[in-house]
Amino acid sequence: MRPSLHYDVVVLGAGVAGLTAAAKVAEGGARVCVLAKGVGSTHLAPGTLDVLGYTPERVEVPADALPAFVAGRPDHPYALLGVDAISPALDWFAGRIERGPHPGYRYVGNLKRNLLLPTAVGAARPSALVPETMAGGDLRAERPVCVVGLRPLRDFHASLCAANIARLGVEARAVELRLDMDRSEVNALGLARGFDDPVFRRDFVSRLAPQLDGDERVGMPAVLGLRDPHGAWADLEDRLGRPVFEIPTLPPSVPGIRVFDALHAALRAAGGRLVMGSRVAEGEREGTRVTALRSETAGRETYFGARAVVLATGGFASGALALGSDWVVRETVLDLPVRGVPAPGSPRFGAHYFGEQPMARVGVAVDATLRAEGAENVFVAGAALPGAEPWREGSGEGISLTSGHRAAELVLASDGLAAAA
Amino acid sequence: MATLSTDVLVIGGGATGASVVWDAALRGLHVVLADRADLVEGTSGRFHGLLHSGGRYVVKDPRAAEECIVENRILREVAADCIEDTGGLFVTTPFDDPAYADRFAQGCRDTGVDCEEVAPAEALRDEPLLNPRISRAFRVPDANIDPWKMVWAMARGAHERSGARILPYHAAVDVHRRGEEVTGARLRDVRTGEELDVEARVTVNATGAWAGKVADMAGIEGVHVIPGRGIMLAMNHRLVDTVVNRCQMPTDGDIIVPIRTVCVIGTTDVHTDDPDDQTVAQEEVDALLDDGERLVPGFRRARALRVWTGVRPLFEDAKEDVRSTRDVTRAHTLLDHAERDGVGGFVTITGGKLTTCRLMAEETVDAVCRHLGESRPCTTTTERLPGSETGEYYHLGERLGRREDNLRNDELMCECELITRGKFEEALRRRGTDNLGDFRRTLRLGMGPCQGGFCIYRATGIMHGIDGMTAEQANEVLLSFLQERWKGVRPILYGDQLRQARLDDWIFQGVLDVGHLKQ
Repeated sequence: MRPSLHYDVVVLGAGVAGLTAAAKVAEGGARVCVLAKGVGSTHLAPGTLDVLGYTPERVEVPADALPAFVAGRPDHPYALLGVDAISPALDWFAGRIERGPHPGYRYVGNLKRNLLLPTAVGAARPSALVPETMAGGDLRAERPVCVVGLRPLRDFHASLCAANIARLGVEARAVELRLDMDRSEVNALGLARGFDDPVFRRDFVSRLAPQLDGDERVGMPAVLGLRDPHGAWADLEDRLGRPVFEIPTLPPSVPGIRVFDALHAALRAAGGRLVMGSRVAEGEREGTRVTALRSETAGRETYFGARAVVLATGGFASGALALGSDWVVRETVLDLPVRGVPAPGSPRFGAHYFGEQPMARVGVAVDATLRAEGAENVFVAGAALPGAEPWREGSGEGISLTSGHRAAELVLASDGLAAAA
Repeated sequence: MATLSTDVLVIGGGATGASVVWDAALRGLHVVLADRADLVEGTSGRFHGLLHSGGRYVVKDPRAAEECIVENRILREVAADCIEDTGGLFVTTPFDDPAYADRFAQGCRDTGVDCEEVAPAEALRDEPLLNPRISRAFRVPDANIDPWKMVWAMARGAHERSGARILPYHAAVDVHRRGEEVTGARLRDVRTGEELDVEARVTVNATGAWAGKVADMAGIEGVHVIPGRGIMLAMNHRLVDTVVNRCQMPTDGDIIVPIRTVCVIGTTDVHTDDPDDQTVAQEEVDALLDDGERLVPGFRRARALRVWTGVRPLFEDAKEDVRSTRDVTRAHTLLDHAERDGVGGFVTITGGKLTTCRLMAEETVDAVCRHLGESRPCTTTTERLPGSETGEYYHLGERLGRREDNLRNDELMCECELITRGKFEEALRRRGTDNLGDFRRTLRLGMGPCQGGFCIYRATGIMHGIDGMTAEQANEVLLSFLQERWKGVRPILYGDQLRQARLDDWIFQGVLDVGHLKQ
């Protein structure tokens, strides 16, 4: 294999973990390239940074709950990363959003309290760090809620959302506005483009305002702009004269796309590069080091030389881990050893959908410095790490961000790079 | 307590019970149909979807084969809208006894099953994914049949023709006996707990694998139905477009049936004591995947969508010692309890298969008429079901074709199965049910590759929005659907379908957090 492009660090995967690791490594002065098969977790996730939501009891104060949580789970990514690594990662992230491509857009919250944000079904989801455009939905506040549905958007049903919010003790009702849009535009992305447009917003407000009562706050599907979400949100609050907040919908996630755009911008600002549509087919090794990666992009092969690699390819959802019909788990990109596979004969998945799922905890075997077993210059971050059940814990984004951030620190301090610098 | 009086009460809303109701309604009888669950929720909705040509039985059970081909031709005529004319192939793979092919061809000639031998190359041209090492191939008139569509057409038709009352979710809790006469049954609405006494001149026990239990309620002894449990596996593509059978004595995992957007491989066969046993053993799944590989090399790399269990009702002749349920006759059994037990007004029909449901119904309603002392001729061989009036077969592009007409003015709520919001709302009004499983069966909602990942939130939201449902009810609907779905996917989560399941988790547990809805 003859590398045609040389980088200090090649990051595999463009989710929160990969983009965070890449941007931070680039900010540290290393030459970085991100190779990604396609867009990933950002476009699916709600766009909040949930650090720890359930243990399985609902967590009110993550800072208080985390030490006991990791003490009981020595194999959990947070135990590996150290609880103290979380806060700096959140700060780093919030900073990148503020410097990002969306003027004025920012995240609010911290580990001292979880916000309880309504989901599109009206459940209260605990999140530590959230877009300002969602924070007004915090259900610990008693202010009544009016949930606004936008027909014919399929992926948000205001009546059910409001009815479940009401069951939580917050007065809530639903109104539905029928939008006069071309059907091809009636999806989260089309609506977001609409809300970027002041004329669209003015029309929308003129139809909604007469239907609002008292001091209701307004909950809407999370489609308030991709280009200028802060401007769109602030404009709606201003025109309606009341708080407005976004509620995440089914994928594609508009707030998640904003996260992707902001982290991508941070990467580029630091001189890093992202190559989309490049599936890594193979890693070349010299002893215990992976020295180059062969990717298949647009029908041809490209070789990327690397001193260090960050594997942030995700878990089963992305295809980075695969369970075969022979019931063997493989790491599909670099064929690294995995950890946590349920023993033969013991259940791979629990009998109850919302119960424990042992297979969800499988990940790439790593040491205390996130290095993959048997590959000393490959650092693992995000959902590829073993030991967590992100959905049940409400911890996925927190793990991705913290491990991506931590991986960058470890990469920058590692021998290969320190020597290069 | 509410009471109802009718000519005929049919207990069991599978293909057999519905056929009896349709047949009786056409003969001018007033009928009530009751099932403890939704119609077609039992065995009839849990098979592979094969409309038999009879080919499977030509060597082993020629009588069953003869019945199948006759009924196959009739159903094609009267229930065309429920049938996709895929045709069928019997192929000799390297794993099959090559001598069986000649016995098969002879058996077809003897039983009247249409059969044409074709060159293996021709079969492979039609079905390129088939094992290239097949040595013989025969075409037969197998097809697929949609049991939900057929049963609901029968139920609707019976209601239109003679006011039949269709009562899903009504369990028979007692069969009334007055001396040596069965006079009806007490039903309980399992959703509300309300009870209803149905007084019937004749009661038909069409409960298949559960027939022994209903016979017990009537105080009739010795009705032994052995439930033969088999698993079926749906793959997310039509790996074949023709029904493909291995040309050998019928055994496990030797048939793949393309139906709607999927194909189904079946089946296994395990004797069980409990017809409600829905166990899916890992070894059975592994064995079916191996069987799939033999017919379609690479089968294991395809996505398995869902696995389920069906129980065959196989009537036992009490004198014989039965070890394998596959050796019990596939033919049906009609028990006229007046003749058998001296108890009037009660008939049990069990055994058989979906392909012969019309014949079973004809014989049953003939017996009913004898009980009533009336002579009413059967017309189900020529009377077309509602929806099948034109005699045109269902074809795969039908939904897409209909979708083309309203592309711009109706929301698509299920991309996998092309279900529009309008269609869903119409079904919601017609069925008056709040069970998403009912829509799964009626519309195929959530049956496609994403197994409800996207449409189920939408469906719940729509139901809540237009149906005056409480949030508690809507949540229950959503959560029970997710748990029911989990049962069907858990044993086959591997490869890309595991990825799909994780994406669905992302939606339901991540974005929506439905697992933490307030109880």
